[in-house]
Amino acid sequence: MTAILSHVLPGGEAALAAYGGGVAVQAAGTADPFDSGMWEDHRELYLGEPAAWRTDPAMRLLAPRSAEDARHVPILVDATGLGGPVERIVITIDYSPFPLAMVFHPGRALPLLGFGVKYEMAGPIRASALVGGEWIMGGAFIDAMGGGCSAPAVTHARSDWQDGFGEMRGRLWPDIGRLRISLRHPMDTGLADGIPAHHLTDLTLTDAQGEEIARLEINEPLEENPALTFLLPPDLAAGPVGIVARDNSGYRFRGEVAA
Amino acid sequence: MKLTRRQTLLGAAALTLPLPAMAALPDYRLNPQEVADGIWLIEGAQESFDRGNGGAICNIVMLATPGGAVVIDTGGTSRHGAALRAFADQRLGGVAASVNTHHHPDHWFGNQAFADRPIHALPASIEAQAAGAQALAEGLYRILGSWMNGTAPVPAETVADGGLLDVGGRPLTCMAMAGHTQGDLVLIDQRTGTLIAGDLLFLDRAPSFPDARIAEWRASLASLALLEVSGTIPGHGAYRRDNAALVQTRAYLDGFEARLDAAAGQGLAPAEALAAGPMPEFAGLGANPEEYHRATIQRWRDFETGALPVIGGSA
Repeated sequence: MTAILSHVLPGGEAALAAYGGGVAVQAAGTADPFDSGMWEDHRELYLGEPAAWRTDPAMRLLAPRSAEDARHVPILVDATGLGGPVERIVITIDYSPFPLAMVFHPGRALPLLGFGVKYEMAGPIRASALVGGEWIMGGAFIDAMGGGCSAPAVTHARSDWQDGFGEMRGRLWPDIGRLRISLRHPMDTGLADGIPAHHLTDLTLTDAQGEEIARLEINEPLEENPALTFLLPPDLAAGPVGIVARDNSGYRFRGEVAA
Repeated sequence: MKLTRRQTLLGAAALTLPLPAMAALPDYRLNPQEVADGIWLIEGAQESFDRGNGGAICNIVMLATPGGAVVIDTGGTSRHGAALRAFADQRLGGVAASVNTHHHPDHWFGNQAFADRPIHALPASIEAQAAGAQALAEGLYRILGSWMNGTAPVPAETVADGGLLDVGGRPLTCMAMAGHTQGDLVLIDQRTGTLIAGDLLFLDRAPSFPDARIAEWRASLASLALLEVSGTIPGHGAYRRDNAALVQTRAYLDGFEARLDAAAGQGLAPAEALAAGPMPEFAGLGANPEEYHRATIQRWRDFETGALPVIGGSA
């Protein structure tokens, strides 16, 4: 089962299958499909040194094989096939100067997350889902020229870069439960010469009563002017959904999207 | 300009490598065809850059004149350019001048071999060549490896614009267009009425979109459709007497735009639109699905912004 929507485009279902469907391994196992030296360290650092973890073809991560643009590498994580309730999903990039990209707490949303990341060099990106006390990892190897984290944000090339800063766009598709949000933000990593770190730190979705639906912890690798994709159950997808985000400079961003 | 480590290594290697090692590199095999009176076409592979084709992926056109060849686009590497130059020298009495139709590297990274004669390009192309040379070269060294040996891109220096380019007594009508890139130079050979369209036209090879502005591209196609020509040489694909390249390129632009509009309008994430692959009727074109994958990443934002209304801002 998958919540991936490629099939709505003509020929998309067959092409998705031919593309691998976002599945890193065809059978469940405990070997690292990417055979990478970073995975052990990152389990210890970012997953709390779990005694056990495994791969599972039901844990999907859709990514381009090659990062055409190292500043915008589109990713979709789909853990809806895992069956159990997903407590959180940890996104790590093996060879990034900031390996911990994001932590997604789906809460009352479904465990699906679309986003774009910056890539500093070729290597695996992984999504690890905590389900019933067990970590299940999926991922993809992305070839990249790199430099995405150390290049200045494109917006700084404009003298009026603050125009439109914080503008939030979004739309809710109640019949399919999709929510897409974009936010104008430079997402500066601090690695580009003379440009201090200035990036989003978290984003929360709330329901009509203001109660939290889902929460996202955000770090430097998220792309400039990020766009995010969520999946909501029917009751919440009826809207309205509130969005609140913050960055490390103390700016707050708010928006509300109705069906 | 700052020397990269690669250039430094390259310079050192060029000094110390014995000639036989250079000669052992794979060769470019040209297959020039005279498609109209004095118009030689060297067709590129209908593929993306890779180590199998050495970057020889776009069409090169040479027009024979009493003063030597007018060379339209110069190849994807220095050595590709040298092979093309050798053909011009041996068969067409040398080179009178050359032209870069636009700034994508498959069309001008062979300029070194033609730099002793004027190299014409639109101002926007010359600017983009200078600005992008370093990044483009680094990318191509990574993809092509030793095929790129010795390539240090030389931007065009002679400004072309709309009007007549008369070199060696064979006048060419030049038209400054845009859409595939910010500067797309289109040429018509007055003697034969042959249209040399650059990458505004593709045939049986998926168009590339890294610098595309689709509305402008479509307007340029509308202008091309009004021309009376005897035959067409697209930037990629075969010479044809009919307008097949125009029809196919226009249909591809329409299909691509409709597909990404549908994806963004139905709530798809860009990774899903990418994995859905190209429009089924164009899935079999050369360089697909890779070119569609690239285009989806390059152009996604153009479509996404329109699909998502403003819902908030800085609080």
